[in-house]
Amino acid sequence: MVAGAALALAWRPALAPIAPPPAASFAAPQIARGAVLASAGYCATCHTAKGGQPYAGGYAMETPFGVIHSTNITPDVETGIGAWSEAAFGRAMREGVARDGSHLFPAFPYEHFSRLSDDDIAALYAYFMTRPPVQAEAPRNTLPFPLNVRLLQAGWKLLFFRPQRDEPRADRSAEWNRGAYLAEGLAHCGACHTPRNALGAERRAQAYAGAAIDHWIAPPLDASNPSPVAWDVDELVAYLSTGVTRYHGTVAGPMAAVTRGIAQLPPEDIRAIAVYFADLDGAAARADATPAAVATALARSAAGGDDAGAPLYAAACASCHYNGADGVNPLRPELALGSAVHLDDPTNLIQVILFGIDALDGAPGVVMPAFGRALSDADVARLAAYLRATRTDRAPWPDLDKKVAQVRATAPGAE
Amino acid sequence: MTTRFTINGRAATSEAEGDTPLLWIIRDDLGLTGTKFGCGIGMCGACTVHVGGRATRACITPLAAVDGAAVTTIEGLDPQAAHPVQQVWRELQVPQCGYCQSGQIMQTVALLQDFPQPTDADIDAVMAGSLCRCMTYVRIREAIKKAAAAMAPAAAPGASS
Amino acid sequence: MSRVQALAEAGHPLSRRSFLVAATGGALAFGFMRFAGAAMDPAVPGNTPAAALGPEFAPGLWFSIDSEGTVSVNIIRAEMGQHVGTALARILADELEADWQRVRVIYVDTDPKWGLMVTGGSWSVWQTFPVFSRAGAAGRIALIEAGAKLLGVSPAQCTARAGKVIAGSRSIAYGEIARRGGPARSFSAEELARLPLKPVAERRLIGRPTQALDIARKVDGSGLYGIDAKVPGMVYARPKLPPTRNGAKVVSIDDHAARAVKGYRQCLALDDPSETVPGWVLVIADSYPAALRASQLVQVQWTAGPGADVSEPQLQDHARTLIDRADAGVRLDVGSEDPAPLFQSAASTVEQVYTTATVLHFQLEPVNALAFEKDGVMEIHTGNQWQSLILPTLAKALGRAETSIVLRTYLLGGGFGRRLNGDYTVPAALAAKALGVPVKLVLTREDDCHFDSVRSPSVQRVRMAFGADGEVQAMEHHACAGWPTQVMAGALLSKGLDDGRYDPFAIAGADHWYDVGRQLVRAIPNDLANSSFRPGWLRSVGPGWTNWALESFMDEAAHHVRQDPLAFRLKLLNGKGRNAGSAPSAVGGALRQAEVLRRAAQRAGWGSALPKDSGLGIGTSFGQERDMPTWGACVARVRVDRASGKVTVEKLTIVVDAGTIVDPDGALAQTQGAALWGLSMALHEGTEFVNGQVRDANLNTYTPLRINDVPALDISFVDSAEVPVGLGEPATTIVAPAIANAIFAAVGARVRDLPITAAAVRAALAT
Ligand code: FES
Ligand code: FES
Repeated sequence: MVAGAALALAWRPALAPIAPPPAASFAAPQIARGAVLASAGYCATCHTAKGGQPYAGGYAMETPFGVIHSTNITPDVETGIGAWSEAAFGRAMREGVARDGSHLFPAFPYEHFSRLSDDDIAALYAYFMTRPPVQAEAPRNTLPFPLNVRLLQAGWKLLFFRPQRDEPRADRSAEWNRGAYLAEGLAHCGACHTPRNALGAERRAQAYAGAAIDHWIAPPLDASNPSPVAWDVDELVAYLSTGVTRYHGTVAGPMAAVTRGIAQLPPEDIRAIAVYFADLDGAAARADATPAAVATALARSAAGGDDAGAPLYAAACASCHYNGADGVNPLRPELALGSAVHLDDPTNLIQVILFGIDALDGAPGVVMPAFGRALSDADVARLAAYLRATRTDRAPWPDLDKKVAQVRATAPGAE
Repeated sequence: MTTRFTINGRAATSEAEGDTPLLWIIRDDLGLTGTKFGCGIGMCGACTVHVGGRATRACITPLAAVDGAAVTTIEGLDPQAAHPVQQVWRELQVPQCGYCQSGQIMQTVALLQDFPQPTDADIDAVMAGSLCRCMTYVRIREAIKKAAAAMAPAAAPGASS
Repeated sequence: MSRVQALAEAGHPLSRRSFLVAATGGALAFGFMRFAGAAMDPAVPGNTPAAALGPEFAPGLWFSIDSEGTVSVNIIRAEMGQHVGTALARILADELEADWQRVRVIYVDTDPKWGLMVTGGSWSVWQTFPVFSRAGAAGRIALIEAGAKLLGVSPAQCTARAGKVIAGSRSIAYGEIARRGGPARSFSAEELARLPLKPVAERRLIGRPTQALDIARKVDGSGLYGIDAKVPGMVYARPKLPPTRNGAKVVSIDDHAARAVKGYRQCLALDDPSETVPGWVLVIADSYPAALRASQLVQVQWTAGPGADVSEPQLQDHARTLIDRADAGVRLDVGSEDPAPLFQSAASTVEQVYTTATVLHFQLEPVNALAFEKDGVMEIHTGNQWQSLILPTLAKALGRAETSIVLRTYLLGGGFGRRLNGDYTVPAALAAKALGVPVKLVLTREDDCHFDSVRSPSVQRVRMAFGADGEVQAMEHHACAGWPTQVMAGALLSKGLDDGRYDPFAIAGADHWYDVGRQLVRAIPNDLANSSFRPGWLRSVGPGWTNWALESFMDEAAHHVRQDPLAFRLKLLNGKGRNAGSAPSAVGGALRQAEVLRRAAQRAGWGSALPKDSGLGIGTSFGQERDMPTWGACVARVRVDRASGKVTVEKLTIVVDAGTIVDPDGALAQTQGAALWGLSMALHEGTEFVNGQVRDANLNTYTPLRINDVPALDISFVDSAEVPVGLGEPATTIVAPAIANAIFAAVGARVRDLPITAAAVRAALAT
């Protein structure tokens, strides 16, 4: 009986609490490796509230189902994971079950972490158990009934959760396999870039086909990526290690924290991830087209256009987003090449125009100002329409005014 | 919230709200009034400063965005106000009312970093964001070219000029 | 009386006579005196003038020499890009034989002793030249006499040069003369009038290249503009602007939401006896960003004044109606009989209507003012072009004597006539009075545009009557627009025929130097404009529209009689009768205009073949007024894209005769700027009234010329020793008609509405 099986799965035993192990019980190199892994899995991004203590949880994640708050993963005994044994930690990472036996929401990407090696789990455990404990209770979640019933998460798991094991592919290089291990596991790239079904589970058949997440679009990472230039290994390495590329612009939005984290990995690991995604993107097959694509983009930008957006672009954008005849400067992102103007959905472009990019994100130390208070919805729509018309040969975006208003409404602190 | 950045090489902190435009922090709190307010919407360039070495409109840059960044204003461009661009600006008497000129100069310095020998098209595109209501454009263009020449690496030994 | 004299006499308690007398002295007593009014020296950091060193020689008002030999020249004009201090100081220093390296300029505060303080109309050099020449000459003579005595020789054996009195191989510096007691010398009025001015060949500074004294501080960020003014303890204010410029009243203020803003203090509804800013509410805060934030949360209810729903078409339709009414407006005295009968008998006639749209000043520094009370004086720190106009208004608003109000004039981030109207000082002063703390009022760009005293839209009808062989027999020019002078400085209206009073600034240019037979010029106030908003003086003022109509029409008339537009004009600029010109400022008359026209045409290759859809067009002008003509001509070369209607201006060739050029590079800069302003207003600017407000309030929709649309410029000056006249404005008005005429030459499309839009060109091509 399905119901019986579900019930059986639903009941997971609590694992015995332990006294927090002394920091000295972990080897320093192991802790250091855990730190790198925690960065590359950008644990802090989700487990730190805005302005809060690192890893103390309380970060609010907006999901299509409601707001979920991350948990405290500092070794505080009462509110964190101080009483968790390594086994409990490993079970949570790989199976999405808390120490007390309750089910975690799949916002916590245990599906991906199920791939992690024992060594990596151990290093992460060592790292977290040696952080300063912070007493902080997570705020209540606002999931509506019945989604808030953690027991039901068991049913969800039954339907969708397929623990993954790291199974190297013999027909690919070791580097590729290393990249796959990191990307699929720790870096959990699919959590954002793979579309989800109505119940919030990743659609495996459409892995990396791109998805809306957190008021942004996580673009496709497979060959359907609309950027005119293929994501080859060099571009990916630059992107993941510096946040800036020559032909794909700079990182922005939620991805900024991701690249900051991945950049902590050793160079060979970053390269491995790049090799993996360059393969997914079919970059090798498209590499020859790059010079022509760049030339086309530069010609498009140089031609500009005469419509209502042209003077706006000239006055507000061109002083940075302009490249001369001698090619593209990565610090002057070429809008005709970036995915933002080519995606079917203008959200990313609008996001960046309205809210800009901080010095911390994208190209380090450099800022894209925020036009949100400067320009009206109509102005932003005019700009977006102008870029779409002059920088791409794609169909115009419909209802831009409305879209701008929608994106504007997602601003932190917007009424 | 505390925002920390450097201004003209010196550490600065501000307790102002993170969405406060950087321009007013620079002008009113730090007292560096060489950076001007013209439009407030990023379309005149009078407020142009450098953030991380890139020309940036301070009027629409939220304070929070420069956390950890290095900001340079006209006052910090050169200790003796003798940056080659400033020298040429004086030589050609570019300013009229002068109100836009801090921004023009900061934008020009950034332009010449990216385009050491700018074409007219480069100047048109990059400088079109910097409005000069007195219309000193003829001299701005001339000065940019002259500054580019002055800043070009000296000709190789033995090369005739 | 000329409009300039009228301005001088009515604008200020000191009449023009006393202005001149104060300048050169009835009996100019020399002695030691300090000028308490010294305000701003843009050539020193912080703009605060350095104190004089040791005893000083301060002959009268205009300059002093301290013991180190530093010559301080007092400038009553505002610096707004003309390098005016440099030009004026060089006039004085030249006659004084001063060492230019030791000359500095000081921009003075308002003090009655300075007389009329106004910077506009391109008058500064023209008005100041005779005054400063004599002041410098008097100083030179006195210093030579004193120096001779100290050297023990006779004055006749001495010359002055580069800040020294020289006798043979011996010399004594001016600073030394000042230190040793200075000259004690007075001149009678007769003596002053007879003072020997240097011959032109002896000029050492006038007409020579120089580095303007204000440049350095505009390149390193240290120059202080009004917006940079600050005093300890000041609060910031941003206005909530009422729905109408005039007559609005506050009904209620709700600042509930604003109270949550950190730094917000209060809202202040202004009570303004001067009616300058009716219905204004100021949002006061500790910082400007807080004032901005709070102002967005404050709700104010008003009852609107007149014009709350006025639109551009209404304003223009009203103007057309007025032009059609024979009794509207005032005819100027142009010394002619009524031309109307000749239109009955003419072999042919041409009549056309021209319009110009509302234009914003958009000076780059939004208007602002810092006001505070100190030692019983209300101090107002700001940039302003016409201190003498706003002082009486401030006195009325504040209920205190003019003598207890002082304006300290900072650098102006652009004037262009906006700051002739000092209305923005009033709310700051009222708030400082009401709150008892220094108040710094800064308008946002949007506020600045909505509060602008815009250039009024205009409608003009021009017609001409021709004889059988095409000779011009009569001309009429009817111009209707808002009248800035009527609204803001009514005493300065000029007298027309039949005792009518008209705004000379709103019609100048229509009273041209062409010999057209009988002539009628009628100026009509657009009373709907005058009541709905506050029409302003904008660079060139009236000629900005009159010359658009006049010079476009001249082209149409030439084509009507199948003559070359250049030849047609040259024939009419015959310098006869009323157009012969007269001393001092208009020597040569229309013949000088013909000359610049000829030169410009020649330089531009008039008559040579051009590529398809390209054309040359002419515009010419005498500047602002017949009393002070600056002769200018422009040839525009344009290319028209027939499909889109887009006009590209490729080159402007401009020749100017402004008499003696004092500061050649400054003159060139002014002409470059003015020409590009003309281009900007021809193709890139223009707004319209919608529901009582201008439609465009910032650069997202208002699009002044930028660097990427600047054409090639060929600007030259006629070498002349005539009286120096004005340069700030004249080139502005010759560009638009030259472009329109060039469009016609290129593709045969005639446009009559300013700005020229691509749509209008397309429409004209289709007819
Ligand atoms: S004030 Fe910042 S661009 Fe105009
Ligand atoms: S010099 Fe006045 S705005 Fe540029």
